[in-house]
Amino acid sequence: MSFRELPHTADIKIEARAPTKEMLFSEACNALMQIMYGKDRRSRDTIELVVDADDTEALLADFLSEVLFRSEVDGLVFSDAEVHIDGSHLHAVMHGELFDRDRHAGGTEVKGISYSGMSITRDTNGYMLEILFDV
Amino acid sequence: MIEGVTHVGVNEWEVPVGYVPGMRVPGRFFLSEPLAEILEAGALQQLANVATMPGIIKNSLAMPDIHWGYGFPIGGVAAFALDTGVISPGGVGFDINCGVRLLTTPLEQKDVAGRRDLVDGLFHAVPTGVGAKSAHKVSPRALDEMMVKGARWAVENGFGVPRDLVRCEETGCMREADIRAVSAKAKQRGIPQGGTLGSGNHFLEIQVVREIYDAPAAAAFGLRAGQVCCMIHCGSRGLGHQTCTDHLKVLESATKKYQISLPDRQLACAPITSPEGREYFGAMAASANYAWANRQMITHTVRQVLGRMFRIEYESMPLVYDVAHNVAKMEEHMVDGRRSMVCVHRKGATRAFGPGEPDLPPELAALGQPVIIPGSMGTSSFVLKGTQVAMDRTFGSTCHGAGRIMSRSQAKKQLSGKDISDNLLSKGIMVRAPSDNALVDEAPDVYKSSDEVVKVVHDVGISRLVARLSPIGVIKG
Repeated sequence: MSFRELPHTADIKIEARAPTKEMLFSEACNALMQIMYGKDRRSRDTIELVVDADDTEALLADFLSEVLFRSEVDGLVFSDAEVHIDGSHLHAVMHGELFDRDRHAGGTEVKGISYSGMSITRDTNGYMLEILFDV
Repeated sequence: MIEGVTHVGVNEWEVPVGYVPGMRVPGRFFLSEPLAEILEAGALQQLANVATMPGIIKNSLAMPDIHWGYGFPIGGVAAFALDTGVISPGGVGFDINCGVRLLTTPLEQKDVAGRRDLVDGLFHAVPTGVGAKSAHKVSPRALDEMMVKGARWAVENGFGVPRDLVRCEETGCMREADIRAVSAKAKQRGIPQGGTLGSGNHFLEIQVVREIYDAPAAAAFGLRAGQVCCMIHCGSRGLGHQTCTDHLKVLESATKKYQISLPDRQLACAPITSPEGREYFGAMAASANYAWANRQMITHTVRQVLGRMFRIEYESMPLVYDVAHNVAKMEEHMVDGRRSMVCVHRKGATRAFGPGEPDLPPELAALGQPVIIPGSMGTSSFVLKGTQVAMDRTFGSTCHGAGRIMSRSQAKKQLSGKDISDNLLSKGIMVRAPSDNALVDEAPDVYKSSDEVVKVVHDVGISRLVARLSPIGVIKG
C-alpha cells in the first residue's frame, strides 16, 4: 500500500495503490489524515463508521467525507482504518487519538472530497486511485 | 498560443462550441498573452464543460486568474436562465462565500512599523489553522440566527456597528437562506467555529495603502495613501464544506432524475426551480450568511486588538467593503435587451457591480462597487471599482486574486518555511503561521503576479483600479 501527491496547482491530488479495494480506501484515508495532521498519528481510541452509496466512487467520497466530519466534530486524528465493503455498504473501524495541537497543527485543512478527476482502476497488481482534495 | 481557442481581442479569448462535446454556448476568458502561456489545459476543459450545462446564458466565462479547480474552473462565472437553467455546487465550491473584506484604520505606517506585538496579538486573538476552535460560545439557536441574518446577527450581538452592513455585498445577508435545508451535521460543525479563520489560503493581513490611482473613488471608499488597513480572507468553515458535501450527493441523484447529461460528476446540478435546486440554494445562502457573520466576528476581534494596542476608537476603523468569491446569486442582468433575473455562479470570482446598481450603498452609487483583490503573502493587494463594462460583459464580475501557478507538492520540494519567513522579513513583512507547512503552501512564488492579473481586468474594463496596498504583517491560517 502506498500513496503519493501528484502535481495540481490549486488543490491536492493523490495517487494511491493497494492490493484490494478495502485497502485502497484505507490508504486514501491515510493520505487525507496525513495532509491534515502530519505523520505522527497514534492509535488510542476506536470508533466505527458506516456509509452506504450507489457506486464505488460515491462510496469512497462519502467515506472520506464522513472521516472529515467525525475528525472535526469529535476532535479525532485517525491513524488507520480497517475497511470492510459489502456491495454498496461500507463499515470501518477507525483507530486514532484526540487532536493534539503540538503534534497535529502543522497540516492543511481539507474542505471537501471532489469527484473531478476521481478514478478507481484495477489491473493485475491491484487497485489504483486518483483523487482530488479541496484545500 | 493555446490550442483550439481563438484570440478574439486584446486580452480576450474564445473557446468555440465543439471544444468539448455538448457545448451550448462558447466559452470566453480574459487573459494577457504572458498569462495565456501558463494556462493549464485542465482549466480550459473545465471552462468548456460548464458551457454544456442546461440554460447557460451567453458564455461560460473565466476571469484572468483562471486555473484548474474541480467542477467549474477557479475564476469561472456563468449565468443561468431561471426557467430552463440549473444550479450546481460545482459552480460555488466547498467553501461557500469564501470572501474578503478590507478594514481601514486611522493609523499610518510609522505607527505600526516594527510592531511584532501587533502580529503576535492578532495571531493569538484570532483562532487560525487546522483544529482551531472559537472563543465564542454560540448556541444552536444563535447559529440558526447567524444563518438567517448573516453579518446583521453579528452586529446585533455586539460584533460590529450598523454601518458595517451597508459596506457588505448583499448587506452581508442573503434573504433566501433556508436553515431547514442545512443538515444537523453542518450545524454541528458550525457551532464551534464562529470567528475562526481556517487554513489554506485564508489570511489576515496588516497592509499599507501604497498608491492611489483614482482619488475620488479612494476618498469615497475611505482610503488614503500611507494608511494602515487590515484585510480578512476566510469563508463558511466546516458548516459550508458540509453543506456542499451533503447537497452534492442529493444533486447527483437529481442529475439522473432530471436526465441531465454532464461531462464531470462534480458539476452535479438540478433545475433552479426543482425542489433539489431550491434546497441547495437555500442551504448555500444560509452558509453564505454564516460566512458573513464569521468575517464580522473576526473584524470585531481585530478592532479590539488594534483599539487596545494603539488606543484608537472602535468606530474609527470603518469597513471599505466585503465581497464573496464563491457563491451563486439571483441577480438582474440584461439578457437579449431585457433586464431579467438570472442565477449567476461565481467560483473564485468577485461581483463588480457598476454605477447605479440597486445593491450599492447610496454614497457609492455613482462610483461603482468596491472590489477587493487580495494578493499573496509578499505581493500587493488591490482595490478596484465595478463598471458598466462588467455589467455588459461578465454579469458584473471580475477576478478574485492572483491564482496559483505552482502545486503544493512542488512548493514543498523547492521552498522552506524559514527561508520564506526570512525573505519576507527582509522586505519588511512580519509573518505568523501555525506551521512552516502553511507558509510553504502559500509562499509568494506559488502565485501568479497579482499586478498582472488586475492589469488585465483594468485594461478590459471589467473593473478599474482605485488603490494598491502592500502587506507589512501577515497571519496565515
